Amino acid sequence: MKQIALYGKGGIGKSTTSANLSAALADTGCDVMQIGCDPKHDSTRMLMHGRWIPTVLDLVREKGDKIGVGEVVFEGYGGVRCVEAGGPEPGIGCAGRGIIATFQLLQKLDALYGDVILYDVLGDVVCGGFAMPMREGYAQEIYLVTSGEFMSLYAANNICKAIARLSKRSKARCALGGVICNAKNIPGEEELVREFAELVGSRLIAYVPRAQVVQIAEVNQQTVIEFAPDSAQAMVYRQLAETIQTNTETSIPTPLEMHELETLARKHIPV
Amino acid sequence: MGALSVSAFLDDAVTIVHGPDGCTHINTSLLHTTLLEHDIYTIPRIISSGLGEEEVIFGGEEALAEAIALACSSRPSAVCVISTCVTETIGDDTAAVCARDWDVPVVHIESSGFLGGTFHSGYNSALFALADFIEPSPSHDRGVNLIGEKNLEFEVEANYAEVARLLGTLGLEVHVRFVRNVSPAKIREMGGGCLNVMRDDPQGILSSHFDALTGIPSIPAFPAGLAGTLAFLEEAGRLTGTDASDAVREEETRQEELAAEFSDLAGACIAFDNFGFQSAGNDLFEEIAGHLGIHVAPEGTVIPVPFCMPVGTFGIRAMLRQWRRFIDGQAM
Repeated sequence: MKQIALYGKGGIGKSTTSANLSAALADTGCDVMQIGCDPKHDSTRMLMHGRWIPTVLDLVREKGDKIGVGEVVFEGYGGVRCVEAGGPEPGIGCAGRGIIATFQLLQKLDALYGDVILYDVLGDVVCGGFAMPMREGYAQEIYLVTSGEFMSLYAANNICKAIARLSKRSKARCALGGVICNAKNIPGEEELVREFAELVGSRLIAYVPRAQVVQIAEVNQQTVIEFAPDSAQAMVYRQLAETIQTNTETSIPTPLEMHELETLARKHIPV
Repeated sequence: MGALSVSAFLDDAVTIVHGPDGCTHINTSLLHTTLLEHDIYTIPRIISSGLGEEEVIFGGEEALAEAIALACSSRPSAVCVISTCVTETIGDDTAAVCARDWDVPVVHIESSGFLGGTFHSGYNSALFALADFIEPSPSHDRGVNLIGEKNLEFEVEANYAEVARLLGTLGLEVHVRFVRNVSPAKIREMGGGCLNVMRDDPQGILSSHFDALTGIPSIPAFPAGLAGTLAFLEEAGRLTGTDASDAVREEETRQEELAAEFSDLAGACIAFDNFGFQSAGNDLFEEIAGHLGIHVAPEGTVIPVPFCMPVGTFGIRAMLRQWRRFIDGQAM
């Protein structure tokens, strides 16, 4: 079983990438599970054709711990088993604790199985709770999703710090699997992200160009893989799926100092 | 625990510890045990908002609102809400829940230990929060307010009696004991006092707050030591416009009687042991020893120093009885 997690700055396209990656993996015959680790609970929506599935935490709240696997795991496109952790409304409670509680429950329910489990995790690793997928031996390969924008790289670099820290723990087996450039179509973006990946001791495993078909598919409540399977964008996601499926190269990242990151950005972004 | 040691002494009030049951249990158990040691058998009403994992994830504000509603249903004089580490960590807006339109006054006492809080900061926080009951008064002629009595110190009533006695020699009465078995209604009248006396406020944290709030002059601590007790009388007289000379003379006489009562200790040799943490300073004990003709030297009979200085002349007398037991015990 391959357990991977996608991390990156909020709004960078993690859920879109995750859903298309899961769909592409499922198309190859893999048994895939995608777990949305974000209170916004919108990670699996395109796989579920626009359906907002009940979240683990809402169900726990409603029924206590008397819930079965069938109540939290929903089958989406290509048989992808979809789970949404859920969490509190904005501005209240502790979402990080919610992620920990979700993992404990899924473990208890023996729900974590399949060829690939993909964890789609909220934004930066803002607290220990959001590092949960990297802890206790869950996700072993972490993929950073970033664009060439400075703040996106800054967030990716921070996640590298978390991976480097957690990889030292006895129970953690996480390492950086690679960097995915979800492009904003900035000039020189691919080179910038590639060099960033190399500087942190990893590699660029995919360049996902910005394409309108992604938005059109979303409006139609589908992944690109399902909505436009013959499109160039779908090919990019399929290539990404194959790369990840066969990837055996991981590394413990060496995060950059702030001045190194700034120097890198200045080198590639015309000022 | 510091906040609870204050709120539990608000008459007919309910205290809610906003946090997990465990936080409430450990603090309440400790409070009950201490009260029993003081022969106080009235159990203060303390309840927990009972936060569990669900409330930690989704927020504990509604659990708190339910606990407040439950507390209000018994028509207490007030409800005190003490926040805990968990609720501050998850960002519950405890103050906003307390500020809702409740049937009885609901007071928020911020008390999260992880923010550097100690027993003392919780105790101060509770005094500040309950001070909101105080109403302004046009006149200041209704006696002396005692602020921040240490409800869990063993000598709390003896200390009160001594301060009341000393003030009585000036013709002054105690107006409000804030907060020692006092009702919110009585606290409202505090503004009419002529003097505030803090139990122990060496840094002036309480004094500056209550001076500004009430416009009443204050003395920062209960009287301690022989000269300190006389100075207390002089200061209380000065601040209230009372001639203290007769009271000071009377007290000097009492202190001379004290020396006579313990004249058998003259010539004894003692050493003080403060266990490395007691807050009372040795200089005042040395003053008392000198007054009685007792020598202080490292080889002397070891006298354990109390955590706080004894209050007033009668407090010194109680302490000297203990000194005598140690000195006589050593001689036997």
